[in-house]
Amino acid sequence: MAIDTTSETVELPAPAREAAEASAPSTFRPSAIGWARRYAVAGGLVLFVFALPVLVPDEASANLIALAAIYACVALSMNVLTGYLGQLSLGHQAFYGIGAFVSATVVTSFTLPFGAGLVAGALSGAVAALILGGVALRIRGLYLAIVTLAYGLLAENSLFLIRSLTGGGAGVVANRPTGFTSNRAYAYVCLGVLALLFAFDWRLLKSKAGRAIQAIRDDEKVAASFGINITGYKLLAFVLSGIYAGLAGALFAHQLGNVVAAPFNLTLALTFVLMTVVGGLGNRVGVIIGGAFFATIDTILELIHGVVIDAAELANVELGEGIDPVLAPVIGAALLVLTLIRAPGGIGQQISPIQNWIRGGRFDIHSMHDKTAALGGAGDGRS
Amino acid sequence: MAVLEVDNLGIRFGGLQALEAVTFKAEEYEIVGLMGPNGAGKTTAFNCITGLYEPTTGTVSYRGRDVTSLRSDQRAALGIGRTFQQVGLVRTMTVLQNLLTAQHARIRYSAGEGMFGAPTSVTEERALERRAMEVLDFMDLTHLANTKLAGLPYGTLKMVEASAVLATDPDLLLLDEPSAGMSPEESHEFGELLLDIRRTLGVTIVMIEHHVPMVVGVCDYIYVLNFGRLLAEGLPKDIQSHPEVISAYFGEEDTYGVA
Repeated sequence: MAIDTTSETVELPAPAREAAEASAPSTFRPSAIGWARRYAVAGGLVLFVFALPVLVPDEASANLIALAAIYACVALSMNVLTGYLGQLSLGHQAFYGIGAFVSATVVTSFTLPFGAGLVAGALSGAVAALILGGVALRIRGLYLAIVTLAYGLLAENSLFLIRSLTGGGAGVVANRPTGFTSNRAYAYVCLGVLALLFAFDWRLLKSKAGRAIQAIRDDEKVAASFGINITGYKLLAFVLSGIYAGLAGALFAHQLGNVVAAPFNLTLALTFVLMTVVGGLGNRVGVIIGGAFFATIDTILELIHGVVIDAAELANVELGEGIDPVLAPVIGAALLVLTLIRAPGGIGQQISPIQNWIRGGRFDIHSMHDKTAALGGAGDGRS
Repeated sequence: MAVLEVDNLGIRFGGLQALEAVTFKAEEYEIVGLMGPNGAGKTTAFNCITGLYEPTTGTVSYRGRDVTSLRSDQRAALGIGRTFQQVGLVRTMTVLQNLLTAQHARIRYSAGEGMFGAPTSVTEERALERRAMEVLDFMDLTHLANTKLAGLPYGTLKMVEASAVLATDPDLLLLDEPSAGMSPEESHEFGELLLDIRRTLGVTIVMIEHHVPMVVGVCDYIYVLNFGRLLAEGLPKDIQSHPEVISAYFGEEDTYGVA
């Protein structure tokens, strides 16, 4: 037996000691000015986001901000299921659409206030997700992904086609709440809901439920050995995801003013997956940016196209009219491939140096290349 | 009353009888060793005790209570903690987060209170973190608290896993090959640590272990499994010289003796 007599505390086996030396202890604490800078930057970013509806030039752009906030809510919903629980969902248009129709019906047919519509939308999303969650207790992974696909298609091709529920081609009227009928005001409603979900999601991950869901993602046996009820927390993840998506759907219905079944199709579900993966699975801020980006990409492309056309006119060059509808999906696909190859943590991985800095760490651009940031890690590196 | 009583345990996977009529127990404050060659059914027995497998026959009792029909997490919440052969930790979390997760069953605030950020949950989270740091301090791993698991060497992971299972506040500790991958010196130190854990926390320990000097040095009583059956039991010094145990590990003597 060989006991190291040189150090006071011997118990640590050699490998642990090596690891200790390899990873320098993080004793760094920012100064008061450092914290002030961090708060200023974080506050500035929040302020910027909330000033957007006023900053944008016209009402149409304000509507785009509302849509970006709505997609961001969906991205948070996808993130709970795919990022935290690790289960791919290809049927999210179902929760989103059900939330939209239920909210529109509650507000229009039952003449209840807008708030009741939101709550009903959220609850219906939860119920829809709970049914799917029941299946998830029996199968998982790729097979469950296929079931979510079937679930979404089922909603799309049967539920949303029932004329008495969705009003057929005419749709269901979904008015905005009094006082929030302008696009700018409604954008604030959407941003407000997004902020609430953000705060809720943050507490979720900082408390036992969030940790339990992530532990289940990594290893169910280990999670059970820590006393985590696998069934309960799996269902909880589904229900939460359904609530977020149902809320987003309700917001979407009233943003449109008249909701029809057409938008809730498989393409939308795939866009949801795309924006979450590109945003960065497990990274709250990353998926919100991803959602906002995919909500606005079409309009941004048109804007760029308009500028190009104007420039071409000035230069007397003949260009085709209208933007190629294939361009946006191609950009989306290219971003997905780039994400998978270059940065599996998506946008979340790219912004992780900034996030770590704001949380009180040193600014370290290399933390961006931290492979473990890909799942869960980046969003909650420090506890 | 014994802390753990396994009675007539049997489990069959298709045509394979992995365990048959296995009976053993661990008394309060004992360190019991479970030995046997590869495939003897040691880990299968652990899986039956913790509820990952449903035994075909027999019962598992914990402090006189039949827990055979309880779910795995319910047994963990009762105080049965275990480690895994393949390091039972949440890979994407830091060391500290793992210890917080491990305390799950001890948390008093409800999942809802946590999600809505109730003041009680925030206060208790701080207490959880303090307790996690205490456990890390006990295991001399404080410096690794905010380190991610990815990249830590195997031996360190085993120590982190031991810390996590201690954080579950177990009363009965099931260790599956805790010293695997350790050098003789390290496993000796680990044996000392186990005695220290028992002294400090008053836990009962059942461990699967191949490292003979450690088993003999630490265990109070040993059971030997072979082909799913109990082959021998006794005090460490008797087991060491038990002819059947020796033949189970090294093969029959006359296989080599007779030409």
